[in-house]
Amino acid sequence: MTNFANGSGLTVADKYYSQYGLRARELKGSGKKIIGYLSVLGPIEILTAAGVVPFRLKGNVSEAITKGDAYMETIICPFVRNVFDAAIKGKFDFLEGMVLPHQCDSIDRTDDVWANNLQLPYWHYLNVPHVTDDPSIEFMKDILRLLIRSLEKLTGKKITDDDIAQAVKAHNENRQLMRDLYVLRKSNPPMISGTEMMKVLVAAMSLPVDESSALIKSVTEEVKARPMPANGKVPRIMLIGDQIDDVAIIDTIEGAGAHLVMDDLSIGSKMYWTDVDATPDPIQGIAERYLRKLKIPTTFVGDGNTYQENLEARFGHMKQFIKEFKVDGAILFIYKYCDPYGFDVPAMKSFIESGGTPVLYLEDEYSTSTLARVKTRIEAFLEMIA
Amino acid sequence: MAEERKPRTLATKAAASIPKFVRGNLAATLKAKEEGKKVADAYINDGQDEIIRAMDIVPAWGESFAGVCAAKREAEQYLRKAEADNFSRSLCTYATCTIGFDMWREELGGEMPPKAPWGGMGRPDMIIGSAQQLCDPRFKWPQATQHYLQDVPVYVGGMYYPQWDPNVDHHEQEEIYVKYARAELMELVRFCEKHTGKKMDWDRLSELVNLTEKTWDIFIDAYELRRAIPTPMDTGDAMNTMVPLTFNLATQEAYDFYKALYDELTEKIKNKQGVAENEKYRIVWGAGLPSWFALGDFHYFNEKGAVFPVEVTYRNCEKIERLDLPPTNDPLERIARRWVRMWTYWYDAARKRKGSIPKVERIISYIEEYKCDGVVFHSAFSCRSWHAGIVHQAQVLKKVYGDIPILIMEGDIVDISSYNEADTHNRIDAFIEALDAYKKRSQ
Repeated sequence: MTNFANGSGLTVADKYYSQYGLRARELKGSGKKIIGYLSVLGPIEILTAAGVVPFRLKGNVSEAITKGDAYMETIICPFVRNVFDAAIKGKFDFLEGMVLPHQCDSIDRTDDVWANNLQLPYWHYLNVPHVTDDPSIEFMKDILRLLIRSLEKLTGKKITDDDIAQAVKAHNENRQLMRDLYVLRKSNPPMISGTEMMKVLVAAMSLPVDESSALIKSVTEEVKARPMPANGKVPRIMLIGDQIDDVAIIDTIEGAGAHLVMDDLSIGSKMYWTDVDATPDPIQGIAERYLRKLKIPTTFVGDGNTYQENLEARFGHMKQFIKEFKVDGAILFIYKYCDPYGFDVPAMKSFIESGGTPVLYLEDEYSTSTLARVKTRIEAFLEMIA
Repeated sequence: MAEERKPRTLATKAAASIPKFVRGNLAATLKAKEEGKKVADAYINDGQDEIIRAMDIVPAWGESFAGVCAAKREAEQYLRKAEADNFSRSLCTYATCTIGFDMWREELGGEMPPKAPWGGMGRPDMIIGSAQQLCDPRFKWPQATQHYLQDVPVYVGGMYYPQWDPNVDHHEQEEIYVKYARAELMELVRFCEKHTGKKMDWDRLSELVNLTEKTWDIFIDAYELRRAIPTPMDTGDAMNTMVPLTFNLATQEAYDFYKALYDELTEKIKNKQGVAENEKYRIVWGAGLPSWFALGDFHYFNEKGAVFPVEVTYRNCEKIERLDLPPTNDPLERIARRWVRMWTYWYDAARKRKGSIPKVERIISYIEEYKCDGVVFHSAFSCRSWHAGIVHQAQVLKKVYGDIPILIMEGDIVDISSYNEADTHNRIDAFIEALDAYKKRSQ
């Protein structure tokens, strides 16, 4: 168990951010099974209940893809390509296996590329549906049960309803702790910078849930103990996108004289804002959270009585974030070749702008190689909203 | 960038009659309002054809319209329109072309935009999408379209199938998938009833399911005639003759078309009429949608004595008896199980060959049954659904089947800016040389 003596949470977060996978490697050395997953749809409660360590995969935006392109087309999501490149180079050699949730074409269509080339002992494709009606909830429960059966086979241990309920409780607590930390971004200026927050988010997703919770608690205590900074007149920005998991873009925003005070990212608020309800059948609560509570573009939402109702259901939480965190401008950072996010851009942008908040839309790679161009556009945007 | 358009010759009369189908489908969307019928934006291979037709809803096929725009080289104006409202060029260009057209038509108060190919496409009364493993735009495209047609209701239903896993027996999971797909089809029926004000005629639906199954059968029967040497029809034609199966399924016209094609190919075989004057090389079109603006490239292959007697693309059906469907009187279950079994049809064969995958097993089967010497894939940059994973298919094919010439062409389905005719022809030339060397080595 990691030690967080004397409010050292931010230092530990920095260590696990900089040496991503360090703790997972240690745990593997102590006999734990580490199961990697991609995306916010990774079924962490089930993995924890199975007694394995869920480990969310990330790439490295500063590292060029040197091996992955021999296996995957360049039309695939740059994030998926980069993570696969890291995996094929052996950066995740501590993995016992992976769970690949069906989120988008880039994941679905490369499932066998991952499975065939990594040849991990355990592999499971979780066929998460895109729709959320009652038959879809039943289907989601069925496919979660298939996952449970396959994990039981891997570990040789039965996963009971009580195991799942306990795991749900632990992950709900973890999410609440992270939300408590987010509250410290509401002050002006925020008590924790966007860069620090990103390091905590990344570190947290690489740890078992109890260690993740201890880390977040430690960081919160440390940040709360800071003297309240003076009020500033610096633009407050919200960052929207999928798996942005590096400080590079945030350094760019904050280096240009803004505070990143909120996000709608898949490793950030998307991951932590909604809990699993405790239901008599614990699978029911999990299915409902992943299908109906998570606000992600790969989930189809469209059964409102009016288009405006649909927009509220899809993006209303962003307006709430803008209000609560006093956001002056939003940056929509979308990876190239991303159909789910890409098709949302006009609707999402106009919805946020309709509330009076300016939006900068950027389409870019999962790479720092194009950051100079992005920096110029961010600077111009901040100047505009100043 | 291609400087000039070259007309493409068609080997079959059937293929030459296809523009009539495509025009007819577009015209039907325009005439529907006069006839008191509802129009629905619809998407291919969603398993929803019989329900849409049974409810007398006229489908408006965006994929067909975008393909026509591309073939006529009129797509750019619509792509630009969509791009101006922040739709990236890297998104599915079938979708962005059609959305750009929809945006323009709305701005004109319902009038067709200038130069709309074949009179354009009618405004939908509803949008019927599908969330599945086939393609993300099938649920994102309807949602994005609704941004411009805000009064138009959208239904998106799920239709999934077990993912390939060599260590899992997909048969054991089939009931989960069939149950779900059936329930989602029932939701579609309710949606259609609500928005048409009509009740489903279940007997008629059953008849249309019968008709669809007959059409799948005659389609496969006709296409399997292409095993003949010389082949009487190649992929250049199949990119046309796919239209009735893809856009007119569950209609008598579709069945009649393939019956006529069957008769025509039988006659050609009897007369030893092939696609190429001197058929030297036979190739599988392994995967990928074609560049609709460059279908003349098939003719370029033919001029070199190379023909495509078989393709994976747009052959999304199978002989019903091979699917071994259990008897049921429930038309929704029949539709659901037929599609789940179709998508998983090659799994058992793949499980028998270590290291193989279903898509490769299908290609190997075609190589052997159609006596092919090589495989061509087309990778379209704006479409991940059909084109991500092609490199892997090529690698697995080499590994499990052996050294066979493979060409991966690159381009797009609609966006001509990605296309370079001279470069494409150079690559085809080099591939033909590889085929020639391979054939000599094999003899």
